[in-house]
Amino acid sequence: MAQNISPEHSGVDTGKQGANSCAAKHGHAVSKRLQKELMNLMMGTEKGISAFPDGENIFKWIGTITGAANTVYAGQKYRLSLEFPNSYPYAPPAVKFLTPCFHPNVDLAGCICLDILKDKWSALYDVRTILLSIQSLLGEPNNDSPLNAQAAMMWADQAEYKKYLDAFYEKHKDT
Amino acid sequence: MVDIDNLWIELSRNFPVLSGSVCFVETDSGNFQKLREDVIRLGLSESVSEILWSEFQSAIRDKVVPLFWSNFPVRVDTSKCDFELRYQLFLRFAAAVENLYKTFNCLKLLLNRLNKLSLIPNKKWNLNSTLLEALLGQMPTGFNEAVLAFYYVAFQIHLQLHSKNARVLLDADVILKKAECHVCNKKINSCECLSLESTVNKVNTALREMELLDGIAGQSLTSLVQKCIQEHIKETCHGIFDRSFLRQLENWLDETVISWLRKVFSPTCLNTSVNDAETTNIVKGFKVKLTYFLYENVALSIIEQFFSIIIDFPESIPAIDDLKICMEKIDMRKHFIQTLSNTLKIRVLHPGVNTMDILTGYIAAIKAIRYLDNSGIILETVTAPIREYLCKRSDTVRRVVTGLTEEGPTDLTEELAKGETVKDNDKIDGNEELNNWENWLPDSFGIDQSARVQLTNINRSADIISMVVDIYGSKELFMNEYRNLMADRLLTSLDFNADKEIRNLELLKLRFGESLLHSCEVMLKDITDSKRINSHIASDSKFNENKMFDISTFIISAQFWPSFNKESLELPEEIANEFDKYTKAYEAYKGNRTLNWRPVTGRVSIVIEIGERIIEMAVAPTQAIILYHFQSKDEWTLEDLSQITKVPSTILRRRIGFWITHGIIGETRPGIFKLLEEDGKKSQFDTKNINQTLGDEDVESAMASASDQREEELQVFWSYIVGMLTNLDSLPLDRIHQMLKLFASHGVGIEFTQDELKNFLQRKVREHKLIYSGGVYQLYK
Repeated sequence: MAQNISPEHSGVDTGKQGANSCAAKHGHAVSKRLQKELMNLMMGTEKGISAFPDGENIFKWIGTITGAANTVYAGQKYRLSLEFPNSYPYAPPAVKFLTPCFHPNVDLAGCICLDILKDKWSALYDVRTILLSIQSLLGEPNNDSPLNAQAAMMWADQAEYKKYLDAFYEKHKDT
Repeated sequence: MVDIDNLWIELSRNFPVLSGSVCFVETDSGNFQKLREDVIRLGLSESVSEILWSEFQSAIRDKVVPLFWSNFPVRVDTSKCDFELRYQLFLRFAAAVENLYKTFNCLKLLLNRLNKLSLIPNKKWNLNSTLLEALLGQMPTGFNEAVLAFYYVAFQIHLQLHSKNARVLLDADVILKKAECHVCNKKINSCECLSLESTVNKVNTALREMELLDGIAGQSLTSLVQKCIQEHIKETCHGIFDRSFLRQLENWLDETVISWLRKVFSPTCLNTSVNDAETTNIVKGFKVKLTYFLYENVALSIIEQFFSIIIDFPESIPAIDDLKICMEKIDMRKHFIQTLSNTLKIRVLHPGVNTMDILTGYIAAIKAIRYLDNSGIILETVTAPIREYLCKRSDTVRRVVTGLTEEGPTDLTEELAKGETVKDNDKIDGNEELNNWENWLPDSFGIDQSARVQLTNINRSADIISMVVDIYGSKELFMNEYRNLMADRLLTSLDFNADKEIRNLELLKLRFGESLLHSCEVMLKDITDSKRINSHIASDSKFNENKMFDISTFIISAQFWPSFNKESLELPEEIANEFDKYTKAYEAYKGNRTLNWRPVTGRVSIVIEIGERIIEMAVAPTQAIILYHFQSKDEWTLEDLSQITKVPSTILRRRIGFWITHGIIGETRPGIFKLLEEDGKKSQFDTKNINQTLGDEDVESAMASASDQREEELQVFWSYIVGMLTNLDSLPLDRIHQMLKLFASHGVGIEFTQDELKNFLQRKVREHKLIYSGGVYQLYK
């Protein structure tokens, strides 16, 4: 995918020093882009998703999503960590659940199986779309490639699933 | 053999002191000679003399001094020190001194005789000092008042005679009118002043002879004279600042006080030109002391009234000149700074004073203090609290800008006009300072070291405009407010004075630079362009077809104008069509451009025909539209009207209020408004009344105010803060501030302080949007 190739890397090989300065320059461009994304996010009106840099490093963010209404996750609040590589937005950020999440596509360590965070990533995505995707993933799991087989199996019976989910969160309340 | 008994009797006869009475008896010199020889022969001369001297001393101690003191009351109630009392004390003191003098002379003669008795006169026996010691040792508390009273009267007499001499030829009338001599309180015919003066002279002579003048009267004299000087200063120059008094006061001191003192200290030679060295020295000492005292008191008096002087500046320059001279001689800076700061605090810096008045005071203070002290230190120290205070007032900028652009009490307009020359001088100043190094003066001392450190960096030669603008420390803020005010003026006064605006703008540009005022320039250009476009479109024949009413527009470039407030108004179709026609004509004329109407701002000329009334008036568009809707329907509910006009009901109600006060619409039931067709009672208003109310309405600004804008900016931060706290749970103030600075200020580009943020957050806490506990902020859940 052409849009996923950083213009700096698409060119002919540059000298070592040139590459270094390029990287520094690029780092600045990335933080600028993240800055802009943050502004859009802050000015945006999307309910249920939010993110903010965790401390002074703009490459590490904390995100918050709330389970969408009419799903078993309604009202649940999840914290996520987003780590942006230097090559962002040409490479996807590493996104993990911080809050334990019982979900077919999320493992117990919080790793998420979502195509746009892996091979389907595009430079056109941004923090907002990532968070929205994860929010919708909660309600519409991809049961074909489960990370949590138990959850995938239970998904069929929503009432039972909900019951289990509530118990799960009761148990993990303290953590 | 000599009869000892006889010898004793003879001795007692010669020295009555031995038997306890203080008097001098003439005795036969032959007898005395014999007595002397007898005593010497017996070898008793030493011991007899000793005995006699000790008797002298005890007589002075136990008889003379108590007798003298018994003339005076132990306590004099100074509060009731009226004339009668004073006069009484005066006479009493005179009599007492006279008696004392008599006794003193007796003792002196006796002492002479005593000295003859012994072979070698004892030098140590000094009657004067013995008397002084005894007197001072037994001085009653009320005595000083008595002396004071005496000299008070004496001084009055001197003044009376002195002024009489000076004035007698000029206006005898004045003296005749004052039928009473206010010194001796008798009819002028029987004025005893002259005789009293001789008494005074006698007393002074006596005291001088006894060498008691300085010991007994010195202190009282000084305090009397000082009091007199203070009173004189108060009488002559209190409240008058447009004349210099220093020379006059010095003359007065010389002519009146010093000449009197000279008289007191050399009563024997009334002709003052014949001086003996001692008198001259004493009087000289007094003069130096009193001159300084005079300066000090003049300075104090001026400092006390410095606030009034500031207000009267520049008429009060002579008073400041006086103070300058005084302050060269006496260091009063500290006192000056303290007093003036306090006065300013009391008189100016409280909520009851108009900002305009504070500004006027501030500017006058700058001028006056700069005139007094060129170094700028006093100015900085004294005016710092005013600046701080003005900073807290929200309307300061507005007032300053108004002051800059309109004639007012602050003279800022004049200062601005002067600005050009100031600017030019600035360039030369740098060189001048170097060329002029010989005239450099160090900072005056007496200023707190800490204060001085702060002051070193301040541009001391800053002119008034900069000092005023510096209240806020930023030109940008100032220029923004100027822009807002200008926008208001341009939009409200349809027939504004462009020349004046342009002149002001040019002057401001000279001072603040082109870039800051660029948008103002565009605004002015917009207005002139609008006029041109208006006349062009008005001449367009297509536009003039079926025209309902004339439209004249201001076409403004939104980029350069301050943002408008967010009032809305929906025009009725009929009227909106007219506007559309105008837009079309404009589009035809300008090609690629179109117009965005802002119907809320402007002026509508309407003629109201209602019942038998015909009223012509110019009103705000919203008001006209309200009335327009009443054409089709006599009665409206607030909600319906709000819906059709798209004006929020609260604002709508206020606008309808305008018509209610004019008796055209009435509120029949709450929320229901009805047109009053019939000529109601309220119709007796005249057109003048209307204009007045319209004036009130005009006050409302079409621009979003500075604080509104600030609020908007803070609102941006609020979204960031919410985002921050949603994800990071809780943060302390300084972290929030830091994060906002890191992540939020790039896009928006505004500065804010931690204090400002704190206020903002505290307000959100009060609004239950945030929770503050344990030093960290959290979102309210």
